[in-house]
Amino acid sequence: MKDAAPAQPEGLAGSLYWLIRLRWFAVAGIFFTALFADRVLQVRLAYAPLYSIAAALGVYNFLSLLYLNRAKAAARPDLPDVMNRLANAQIPMDLLSLTALAHFSGGVENPFIYYFVFHMIIASILLSRRDCYLQATAAILLFLLLAGMEYSGLWAHYCVASSAAGCRRADILYLLGASAAFASTLYIAVYMGTSTALKLRGKEAGLRGAYLLLKEKDRIKSNYVLRVTHDVKEHLAAIQACLDPVLHGLTGGLTPGQESLIRRSYERTEKLTFFVKALLEITRIKLSRKMETGPFSLRKTAENAVNFVEERARRKNIKLTSSVMPGVDIVTGAQIYIEETVANFLANSIKYTPEGGSVELTIGDAGASVLIRVKDTGMGIPKDELPHIFEEFYRARNAKATERTGTGLGLSIAKEVAEKHNGRIWVESEEGKGSAFYFSLPKAAPAPALL
Amino acid sequence: MAKILIIDDDPDIVESMRIILESCRHTVTVAISGEEGLKAAGAAGYDLIILDVMMETMSKGFEVARSLRESGANKAVPILLLTAIKESTGLDFEKEAGDKDWLPVDAYLEKPLKPNELLRKVESLLKGK
Repeated sequence: MKDAAPAQPEGLAGSLYWLIRLRWFAVAGIFFTALFADRVLQVRLAYAPLYSIAAALGVYNFLSLLYLNRAKAAARPDLPDVMNRLANAQIPMDLLSLTALAHFSGGVENPFIYYFVFHMIIASILLSRRDCYLQATAAILLFLLLAGMEYSGLWAHYCVASSAAGCRRADILYLLGASAAFASTLYIAVYMGTSTALKLRGKEAGLRGAYLLLKEKDRIKSNYVLRVTHDVKEHLAAIQACLDPVLHGLTGGLTPGQESLIRRSYERTEKLTFFVKALLEITRIKLSRKMETGPFSLRKTAENAVNFVEERARRKNIKLTSSVMPGVDIVTGAQIYIEETVANFLANSIKYTPEGGSVELTIGDAGASVLIRVKDTGMGIPKDELPHIFEEFYRARNAKATERTGTGLGLSIAKEVAEKHNGRIWVESEEGKGSAFYFSLPKAAPAPALL
Repeated sequence: MAKILIIDDDPDIVESMRIILESCRHTVTVAISGEEGLKAAGAAGYDLIILDVMMETMSKGFEVARSLRESGANKAVPILLLTAIKESTGLDFEKEAGDKDWLPVDAYLEKPLKPNELLRKVESLLKGK
């Protein structure tokens, strides 16, 4: 049978934290169980060592946590190895602790001896199958050692039976049976646990593969779109270049009918060019693994974006205001794309706000990020269409009714830009009252986008 | 009235430029490949060369521009570079045009061309000569 591969490194770190959390419960469990046995049941056990073991377990857990945090923070290149070693070392430590606890509370007679099964389950999740069987063997050897030493009298036996007659420290038949049951239980638990883990890991690997394949297919599709749109754009440029001199009368006068038709053709090529450019842009952003980023003044960028749309607002008699919270200025990112995103929000709001309305840009401080908001008194977005407006080529019904043309790509580009910056983009809107577009942009440089 | 050489492999764009420039009484010679352009440039003294940056390959226009500069006859002839690749490559021509070693041209113009812009650029380059 194939050996179960250990968990993924990131997953392993998560599991180790989980193990540390579990151990806190174990420490508390030991403490309170001992307290209960002592005060309520009044069982006569060696309580001092029990409490000491609980305390030692606590200290050791705290150190593990510290070590794990350090290793993670230092981003050591051998992190997976460190994690694996830590996992392989912690479980034997736990086995020893549990054996020591058992020794001071009844030896192999302690019914809680079966808690070793939990360690086997944990090992199945964290370790390879071979290592799990090794851990199980170690636990069984500890069990036999404990039984043997207490049987021979080399180690003291703390009896948990109600009467001394019930103590089976020297009952060889009982010890043999208990050992056989213990050993088989542990091996079976490991077999079952690792089988389940193996199956789950296989499924996980399958899903991961499917995800990567989809990503790759999407990239191929984007490359294809890039090629096609590029060719389309070239032909469009030639058409425009040919229509332009005619429109400008360089080839002689035109009749009003000719002029009208050629002007219409020209305007349609302009719209198509605009669309193709937007398509090229979003495809290119999608294909780029990372953006060129650097520190820049968000204040200046916002100003540029406002200047870019000012004329449009003025023509529609829309009140355009902007305010940047004091202290907000330098952020790290792809300046051009951020400016375009803000300008895109503003242009959208102006486009879908009736004459006399208002559009407001505010940039606020939100700790590790800045919050860019563009709020308008426009037509708003129907509730059922809100989830779709960032989808490519999507245009809301009322938007289409007001403005026939539009690429349906502007907000998709904005979303891609936000995602490439590890930021977030969203909208709040009420039909007939207005919309507010939000862009939460981390102040620090985004990590290179992963595939 | 100037002698202008257009080097561009898109016949439709060439035709439109020819009509625009001839409407201002310039004499236009057309070359539809880099090689043809270099040959033509060697023969007659032109006042201005208009060069498309993206012919068969992306670097073709740059190569032609450098060759033009190296041949003695065209050392001082202004070159106007036509580009349609800013969006596809992210190249900033405004910045690069300052680096004469890398891109030895005097001005650039982005496609699609507008007749007025083309004429304005051409006039200013001819005047600066």
